[in-house]
Amino acid sequence: MPGHKPWLPALATDDKSSRLYMKPPAFGYEAPTSIEQATALLSMHDGDARIIAGGQSLVPMLNFRLLVPSVLVDINRIAGLDEIRDDGKGGLTIGALVRHFQLEASELVAARFPILTEAVRHIAHLAIRNRGTIGGSLSHADPAAELPMMVQLLNGALTIAGPDGTRTVAARDFFDGALTTVLDDAEIVTEIALPALPAGAGWGFKEVARRAGDFAMAAAAVTLTQKDTLIEEARVAVMGVHDQAIRVPGAEAMLQGAVADNGTITAAIAAVREAVDPDDDLHATAEFRRHLIGVLVGRAIHDAWHRAAVAHT
Amino acid sequence: MTESAIDMRPTMIGAPVQRKEDPRLLTGHGQYTADVQLPRMAHVAFVRSDRAHARILEIDTTEAKALRGVHGIYGAEDIASLVRPLCASSRTEGYHATLIPPLADSKVRYVGEPVVAVVATDRYVAEDARDMIHVDYEDLPVLTDPAAALVETDTLIHDEAGTNLIVERGFGRGDTDEAFHTAAHVVAGRYRMGRHAPMALETRACVGHWEHGKQSLTMWSATQAPGILRDALAELMDLPGKRIRCIAPDVGGGFGAKVSIYQEELAVAALARITGRPVKWVSDRLEDLTTTSQSFDDIVDLEMAIDADGVILGLRAQVLGDVGAYSIYPWTASLEPVQVISFMPGPYKVAAYRGRAQAVATNKPPMGPYRGVGRPVSTFAMERLIDKAAVAAGLTPEGIRRRNMVRPDEFPYKTPVGIQWDRAGFIECLDSVVEAVDPDSFRHQQVEARAEGRYLGLGFASYSELTGLGSRIAAAPGMPINTGTETARLRIDSTGAVVAAMAFANHGQGLETSMAQVIADELGVAMEAVMIDSGDSDPLAHTTGTYASRSAVLAGGAATLAARGLREKILKVAAELMEASPTDLEIFDSTVRLVGTDKQLTFREIAHAFYTQMGRLHPKQRAAMDLEETRMFDPVFGTASCATHAALVEVDPATGMVEVKRYWVAEDCGRLINPMIVDGQVHGGVIQGIGVALHEELIYDEDGQNLTASLADYLVPSAAEAPDVDVTHIETQLPDNLTGFRGMGEGGTIGAPGAIANAVADALRPFGADVNTLPITPQRIHDLVQAGSAQTLRPGRNNSSDDTTS
Amino acid sequence: MTGTASGKVVVSMTVNGDRVEELVEPRWLLADFLRENLGLTGTHVGCEHGVCGACTILMNGNSVRACLTFAVQAQGADIETVESLGTVNDLDDLQESFRKHHALQCGFCTPGMLMTAIDALRKRPLATDQEIRDALSGNICRCTGYQNIVKAVRTMVQKRDGDD
Ligand SMILES: Cc1cc2nc3c(=O)[nH]c(=O)nc-3n(C[C@H](O)[C@H](O)[C@H](O)COP(=O)(O)OP(=O)(O)OC[C@H]3O[C@@H](n4cnc5c(N)ncnc54)[C@H](O)[C@@H]3O)c2cc1C
Ligand code: FES
Ligand code: FES
Repeated sequence: MPGHKPWLPALATDDKSSRLYMKPPAFGYEAPTSIEQATALLSMHDGDARIIAGGQSLVPMLNFRLLVPSVLVDINRIAGLDEIRDDGKGGLTIGALVRHFQLEASELVAARFPILTEAVRHIAHLAIRNRGTIGGSLSHADPAAELPMMVQLLNGALTIAGPDGTRTVAARDFFDGALTTVLDDAEIVTEIALPALPAGAGWGFKEVARRAGDFAMAAAAVTLTQKDTLIEEARVAVMGVHDQAIRVPGAEAMLQGAVADNGTITAAIAAVREAVDPDDDLHATAEFRRHLIGVLVGRAIHDAWHRAAVAHT
Repeated sequence: MTESAIDMRPTMIGAPVQRKEDPRLLTGHGQYTADVQLPRMAHVAFVRSDRAHARILEIDTTEAKALRGVHGIYGAEDIASLVRPLCASSRTEGYHATLIPPLADSKVRYVGEPVVAVVATDRYVAEDARDMIHVDYEDLPVLTDPAAALVETDTLIHDEAGTNLIVERGFGRGDTDEAFHTAAHVVAGRYRMGRHAPMALETRACVGHWEHGKQSLTMWSATQAPGILRDALAELMDLPGKRIRCIAPDVGGGFGAKVSIYQEELAVAALARITGRPVKWVSDRLEDLTTTSQSFDDIVDLEMAIDADGVILGLRAQVLGDVGAYSIYPWTASLEPVQVISFMPGPYKVAAYRGRAQAVATNKPPMGPYRGVGRPVSTFAMERLIDKAAVAAGLTPEGIRRRNMVRPDEFPYKTPVGIQWDRAGFIECLDSVVEAVDPDSFRHQQVEARAEGRYLGLGFASYSELTGLGSRIAAAPGMPINTGTETARLRIDSTGAVVAAMAFANHGQGLETSMAQVIADELGVAMEAVMIDSGDSDPLAHTTGTYASRSAVLAGGAATLAARGLREKILKVAAELMEASPTDLEIFDSTVRLVGTDKQLTFREIAHAFYTQMGRLHPKQRAAMDLEETRMFDPVFGTASCATHAALVEVDPATGMVEVKRYWVAEDCGRLINPMIVDGQVHGGVIQGIGVALHEELIYDEDGQNLTASLADYLVPSAAEAPDVDVTHIETQLPDNLTGFRGMGEGGTIGAPGAIANAVADALRPFGADVNTLPITPQRIHDLVQAGSAQTLRPGRNNSSDDTTS
Repeated sequence: MTGTASGKVVVSMTVNGDRVEELVEPRWLLADFLRENLGLTGTHVGCEHGVCGACTILMNGNSVRACLTFAVQAQGADIETVESLGTVNDLDDLQESFRKHHALQCGFCTPGMLMTAIDALRKRPLATDQEIRDALSGNICRCTGYQNIVKAVRTMVQKRDGDD
């Protein structure tokens, strides 16, 4: 359910006895120091093991006993997964254990992907950003989380290690609905590649949350490049309004090659509202969310256009 | 020299002195209930009902009992012989008491009600065992809508009551029919305040320790009312009070939620006795949000008649309160809804008034007091309607308030419900806020902003409240306990230390500090020299606790009287020792001096002479003296406190987001003991009120399940949502008020919901929006804007659904 | 870490400068470990789902939620809790600033607030009050309305930046 915070106990679930826990169930604990060890442990436990990275989504679910794994595989002691590296081509390679705070504070990120820096500022709070990891956020795949939207916007690709070697999956193919990804039980996300944005790209990021740091009711992220008076390349991604964060190709098509006037933007907004499929939840009806995402996309396009203009001249 | 010594004596009352509590709390050395560790201690987890209304058929605990680490598992029958159910009785007509069992016996009445207690080595194991306990229920129809519960006759929450309408009361004065008949304008509205959680940051908790040798119980509880708890337990457990000691150690906030007696406290007391171990129960946050008393859930229908000049002629109020599954002890279910009708007229002169309140039981956790009790709701409704009346009469919001408020020369003023307002700065507070806000220039700014598509709004709320209630006015009508008196016992001990046993139960108000200030001034000692014992039922014969903005007035009064008495006694002993007349003596810095000489005796020397040095005083004289004074204080009625609040907000109609940009309060709580603490109480109260108005709401589905039982769904304001609050104090003094203090702990929360509602309504005026439901969430703003946009011309550019350019 | 038959494992870490070694179940939360095993009850627990911030401590110098970390994960770590700051008779500057500005009432949020403020003062410019408010937004205080906490932190920012 978009916007619903899935790590919270659904108090009205059918399994009513699963309510009102605050201490985790018993489990074993392993702290491998290599990816090979980790994947081996995961395959050994055959779906009963869970990776723990920052623990900022997993531990609340354990405290509520929404999950009962037999063993936790703590990947924090695997060296080399916590770096942000220049890919030499204007993009970045980000290790799965890079904490949200590292992204927030990184000058490299701010220089290459200022929109990512801005997005990370909306993730939870300092203490949670100190622990939470990009790999964890992507694997957790909350429909209202920022990073799943951002890696799609930025045409990212995930490197995934499994017992039989590694594979690469485009961010746009990684998510498979709320809290679901294409990861197999024994697979680990190891790094995320973000290719360079087109030169002169402007960006806009707009989010509405009930309070600072809360999961968003809705958010939109847009990048644009300008060619003369026209929009050249446009990317539009949204979250909180669908069963997962998505790119909106229909809106991108409305923008590309068009003049950035109110008519174009209205058409793009209409395309976004058409593409999303929000649910009702405690904080907003589907109707309001659909309205809201249009407003946010409009404002993000506006900002992106102005920033692109700056880059262009 | 002595003359100037007196001049130099710092007057503690009125000074922003730093708090005595702080060093321990800042270093992690406070001791909260959850911090209590005792040898052999076991932990309790409750199996709680997962249904809102059901008969208990069978409980199977066999599997759980066998789990390693489980000490015992107990249901209602196992503890029935040790502790009886609670009952909040009341003399009032139209009231039906309800029995509150320590553990649900034959049926459960709300989701979260404790059914079985598991006692185990630690909380983890206790929760493991809980997994293995199976309770069979037969579901009964669930009542969550108070309007439906009101007319329902087949399904009753309490069969013995014979109705779900457990309180019905009405009162008033004057001829309202006539008033409405002759009115130039009648304005009306239905106002709804959602269900709220006081949400102290420390969850409820208690530790019970039964000492077999002494056959006595010590209970530590995160409570505002250790005295009420002690008296209740003594009665329900058939023990003399002396064999039960209730201690409220450091308490992490209460706001009214910790001033009632809970099922878990009774159960833990019994478990301590059965198991013979110290047992600790610490509520987790989910339990807390599903079982701690809730509040404000009232629907108010309000009508006002005004004349052509905007003078209020008459007022009619009808209140429906959803009081949940039980009539809370000791306050009763009358507390909230009856308070709403009692205070509806506010600080205004209302010649003719009729109010009627109905309290309806539903399958939700019990309603209890929350900071402000009733008055946040009455102020919200009344202040919204006053703004409507202003429009009808063509007056400004500040103008209509000034026109109708009780004026300085009209005090004492008796309200239509019989409450008497003593002289208080009603109009002075309004004027002070108006001056700070400058509404005229704001209105220009507002027009300019609208032209840019920005929606600013300004809202006022004025209220008056009765605080520091004495014995003639019950904190809740007809309730079973006395809340109108307070005792303080002061002594000089054998080392010369000043020790005050006091009845308050501090939970953030800094009472250790402000009461030390009062005693220091009265006694002539340094504040640091005053040691206070509080939050403990033992040292005094009768105590209740801290609630209802009472402690400054009642504890302050008792401390003042006791300190004055003790001063006399000290002087008497010193006079004897110094062979002087008491009238020639003065006390400064724990030392008694003979004026005009350099003769002096420290308290320590006096104590030694009095207690230890046999022969210093003649036995006969000595027998006629003591260094201990116990005094009770009863303010008989109460003191009036009042305030005007103003909020300046910006609303984004496209997203429904509200930003509180500025906030002003001018309040009169009489003489300030510690302005720093008073400001802090106002800040905290206002931010809670903003939470009530904008963010917080407990939402139940039709099965009676709480959908907002985590802090990610029950949204209390964080620092980022909170504005700075600009506070001005008006200190109206009264000749016949012993100390000059008036209560103020609740005020912030009373004014803020109304002020915010009015400000949001003002901002959304172009959409014709009436803010009549709180919290006014983004969704509700969206709905108002959508409804408004459909009818009105869209004035700005931000409101339309294809807003693109902000 | 070595396992035992009861499923408990040995963990060792440094807490407030002392090396500690304890036998714990892997599921034992760091907050419970500090409070129950070590008796350091200054770290409070207000929600156990990461929202309230009362349990915030420093782990290897970074503020973290002790309710969202298992004790076993702190193996080898350097943990600092509120008890590592000044003492009752000798408050440190931040504690002193909280006292002076009346930035606490019931004190339940205070330990977490202090540990968060320490981290924020190290990591963020905190140039405006809004920045301070954002930095503290993961710590709920139900009593103070935050205004005085912001003031107390502002004073420390000035001290840090040498402009007072
Ligand atoms: C109060 C609070 C507020 C929050 N607000 C926000 C917010 O506004 N926006 C937001 O985006 N997030 C928010 N979060 C969540 C936070 O960002 C988490 O850090 C993030 O979602 C998960 O990252 P983690 O490293 O903590 O993962 P964990 O909790 O350790 O793991 C999450 C899941 O991912 C799996 N996993 C972890 N790492 C990997 C990997 N490398 N490969 C494969 N699987 C893996 C785990 O098995 C688990 O199922 C909030 C959390 C809290 C407690
Ligand atoms: S107890 Fe850890 S954040 Fe609330
Ligand atoms: S001081 Fe009570 S919660 Fe902050």
